[in-house]
Amino acid sequence: MAPLISGHISGWIKALYSRCGPVICAVAGVFFLSASPVLATQGHSGIEGVWVHQFAHLFFLFSMGLLIFWLRRAGLVKKTAWRYIQNAAFFFIIWNADAALVHFLEEQLIAVEMTMVGGGQVRIDLLRGSDWISVIYYLGKLDHIFCVPAMICLMLGVRRMLADHRHETAARGEIP
Amino acid sequence: MIASFSPIWWVDVAGSLLMIIFAFISLGYCLRLRRLDAADIVINYLFWVCGALSVFAISRSVGHLLKQMLLLAHREALWLSIQPISGAVNTCTFIVVASVTLFFERNWKIYGTIVKDRHELEVAHEKLLYLNQHLEQLAENRSAALVASEHKYRQIFEVSKDMILVTHTDGQIITINPAGRQLMNEGQDSQTSVEGKEFQQFLSGPQDWYAISRQIQINGSIINEELDLALRDGTRRRVLLSGSIARTLAEEAATFHFLIKDIQQRQLMQKQMAQADKLASIGEFASGIAHEINNPLGIILGYTQLLLRSEDPAADQYQDLKTIEKHVQSCKTIVEDLLNFARTSAPSREKSNIHAIITDTIRFVRHHGNPDAIQIETDFSTDLPFIRMDEKKIKQVMINLLTNAIHAVGDEGRIRILTRLTPSGDAISVAVADTGHGIPKENLTRIFDPFFTTKPTGKGTGLGLSVSYGIIKGHGGQIQVDSEVDKGSIFTFLLPVQPVISAR
Repeated sequence: MAPLISGHISGWIKALYSRCGPVICAVAGVFFLSASPVLATQGHSGIEGVWVHQFAHLFFLFSMGLLIFWLRRAGLVKKTAWRYIQNAAFFFIIWNADAALVHFLEEQLIAVEMTMVGGGQVRIDLLRGSDWISVIYYLGKLDHIFCVPAMICLMLGVRRMLADHRHETAARGEIP
Repeated sequence: MIASFSPIWWVDVAGSLLMIIFAFISLGYCLRLRRLDAADIVINYLFWVCGALSVFAISRSVGHLLKQMLLLAHREALWLSIQPISGAVNTCTFIVVASVTLFFERNWKIYGTIVKDRHELEVAHEKLLYLNQHLEQLAENRSAALVASEHKYRQIFEVSKDMILVTHTDGQIITINPAGRQLMNEGQDSQTSVEGKEFQQFLSGPQDWYAISRQIQINGSIINEELDLALRDGTRRRVLLSGSIARTLAEEAATFHFLIKDIQQRQLMQKQMAQADKLASIGEFASGIAHEINNPLGIILGYTQLLLRSEDPAADQYQDLKTIEKHVQSCKTIVEDLLNFARTSAPSREKSNIHAIITDTIRFVRHHGNPDAIQIETDFSTDLPFIRMDEKKIKQVMINLLTNAIHAVGDEGRIRILTRLTPSGDAISVAVADTGHGIPKENLTRIFDPFFTTKPTGKGTGLGLSVSYGIIKGHGGQIQVDSEVDKGSIFTFLLPVQPVISAR
């Protein structure tokens, strides 16, 4: 059986070579014989890192939205612990949007530039766009006002879940 | 735009510190939760989220704090070399949090199914364990319950007064309860087995079984079907049959289950009640007419007798008036009989011996033309009490019954008079039995009707039995007849020992 199959395959290769052999030889000749830069490994310098970071922010945002959707659909938000976690997800969504916006203005659009000018003051230079972008940028820099509440809600949710878990364990008569 | 740097600085520094604190507190709670249930998918999810966010908080916050410090120290170059590392770690933590969240719902569902299955397995395991430990006791309980159940249903089967019958679909009797066996063997040995015989043998109509089985096969049951059973002693019994088809595990083929109720007595009672109702109605009617006729008859009779006083007995007119008087008397007798039937006057009761009344009556009847060929026998019970009754009226009843019996037996025959105390002891029964021609079935329901007679015209008024019926009812008793053509009749009346006060 095996010799039969191998014989069949070799026959097929021979047929292909007889038909396409000249074309394959011509293409290989172009690649190997002409002078050009070596591109075996792709470089990741420049703006690419910012893009990856931005995608990560959007992925995070999307997953938090999905989490809220699932929690509501499953009716878990009736429980206090999950309600806290839902609030955490909501703050994380806002924070991700805020952080992604600031990154975009600062590193992708390059619309603003912030410089220390001394005396506890900063100067925000608008490189392109309208004046309100400076205000948005300034407020957006205060992103901790979103991520800290998110973290607090997450902590409260986990704490409540721990308390509930202990209560249920005690109710079952087990040692927590 | 020039703005204050301090809000950004304070929020950045304080926020970074708070992020670290809360992230690690959360992680601590998650670790405690994991210690409680390491396999819980929700706890694992939260652990991964909190862990990633803790790493993020460290990376980002330390980065921000370093940034602030290095910028203040004018070491921007150093910060620029650290910044990509911090950013890369942050990116990784975002992806970790988002990834575990993305698969959380699916994992949660799978975990839910696993937990449910595990719970079911645990329950099944516990049940098996319990069954293993208590198998013997459970088997004993079950056996006891089965025995109790079998006993209960066996009792129902055994003590039921109605026939319970199980047959094959072809009518072959599989089992029958004692009441059914007794009914089937009426007049024979009640223990004779009827199992194995065909039920259709006991049905009077040849098409009955076909109709019954067909209806059960089509509808699954038959309800309250009236039919006659042909019993072994040759008699028929009216029954109400209900049945259904059943297929049990024990019986491979389908079987018919029947419940058969004997309604003969009930039907007889219904007929008697209908008869009583009819006679009561006729009585009211007769009473109304008799009252209306009685007064004019009295006047006619009075004037006739007045005229008779002034007439010469040898005169023709005197004879005419005597004829009028005779017929008016005859009419008055009929009217009085009707009033007796209608029980308009209460009987005047005195304590009397029924045997003395019967003996007087027999003597009277013998004296008034009883052929010698007719034997009148008596069978008196010795323990009959004296009862309160209207002696004259009871005598009239006895005369009527004896006269009818003599007419029935014709020239030669036997009349038997029996007295008994009823089994309950609350009444005495007097039966007048003859060996005469009997009464046809179609006449049995009419014999107590006024003016109903089978005698030739002029031989009887048809009021004898009606009057007897009225008198016995007036005493709170009952009168009934059993008769068979060419074999004879038995008239039986019951008189209560404690007389019931008649409503009329």
